[in-house]
Amino acid sequence: MSWLDELSLELCARGVPRRERTRIVIELDDHIACEPGCEDRLGDPRALAASFGDELATSAARTSALVSFAALAVAAVVLIVSQLTLAGFSHYPGYSNGLSMLLFLPALPGMVVAPQIALVAGTLAAWRALRRRRVARLPAQEIALIHRRARVALAAGFATMAGLELYVIDFSQRLPAWWLGLVGGLAAVAGVGLLAASRTRMRAGAIISGTGGQAGDIYDDLPVPGWRRLRARPWVLGALASVAAGLALGAFEGHAEHSVFEGLQRGTFEGLAAAVGFVVLGRAIGVRPAPPPAESAVPAERSVPPS
Amino acid sequence: MILATVAEEPAHGYAILQHLKQRSSGAFDLAEGTIYPALHRLERDGLLSSSWSTDSGRRRRVYRVTRAGTSSLEVRRREWKQFAKAIEAVMG
Repeated sequence: MSWLDELSLELCARGVPRRERTRIVIELDDHIACEPGCEDRLGDPRALAASFGDELATSAARTSALVSFAALAVAAVVLIVSQLTLAGFSHYPGYSNGLSMLLFLPALPGMVVAPQIALVAGTLAAWRALRRRRVARLPAQEIALIHRRARVALAAGFATMAGLELYVIDFSQRLPAWWLGLVGGLAAVAGVGLLAASRTRMRAGAIISGTGGQAGDIYDDLPVPGWRRLRARPWVLGALASVAAGLALGAFEGHAEHSVFEGLQRGTFEGLAAAVGFVVLGRAIGVRPAPPPAESAVPAERSVPPS
Repeated sequence: MILATVAEEPAHGYAILQHLKQRSSGAFDLAEGTIYPALHRLERDGLLSSSWSTDSGRRRRVYRVTRAGTSSLEVRRREWKQFAKAIEAVMG
């Protein structure tokens, strides 16, 4: 097998996209043609492919996090427009006056809980990408963390748009046609944007990095003085975040609805939802400590077999 | 060093490497392949741009410095001169 063939195979094994792979091989082919027999001086093809893979995986993960954030921002605007225009109607339809509770029950968490998950996970993914924008090769575990955050955020973004569409269907006989058309159409457009961002993320996730090192967590992302001490007691952070979210939403809703009871009710729900989110998704998006590091820097299923 | 080389004239990977070797009197003895990830990185960072050309029927990627690359090169040159001057002052 020639040096170039070996390089091509190694690039393929590392998930380097076809376009990049072709370009690299043509450039190296030209290099060898300039001085036939210089392959020995080019170095180990496996090491060179690893170098390309590490850098491309880093760059693609950063790009996909930012693209995901942009797509989520569009979805957020759609949700805000839908709620602002809905609030402008003199008769708010209420939750039980639609076609079916079977439509409303999945729509509610989609419109209320999922956007908050998307906001937290998407912001953390984009923030990590921006914060580490000057690093040529991020550790494989850190790249995986960026992808997990973006994946959770995009899934929550989809759930939000799906919830909005279900709401549109549920109240299709109660709300004006222009609102149904506007919100239904905008949610579909935002859904297409999220789909495009998901494709970008999946392509980026296919590139394998072998760079060692730790992923880091939320304590590295947010430089709040002294709060790294909470790393040893993650449940304190979870409790604090849940209480803060509950109090903030409770105060806002209590004021908006002119009702202490409404504020208490919604604040309690928000606090509980935040606590559940911390338990279920905390580790995936790096707000709870990761399990003890594995022996290898690269997860077993993503490591490249020797050629 | 790559930026400084390409700033003189647009060049392909092999030519850049030969220029570097020549200028440094062979002081930089790196695996030659390592220049390509560096070139791709500089292009991703917007400091270089590249395009295909054809030479003797062979496709060749030619790199040139962008405006951002020229500015970055100036900054790095200034920093290096200050650093070298400081070392010179200490070492004598």
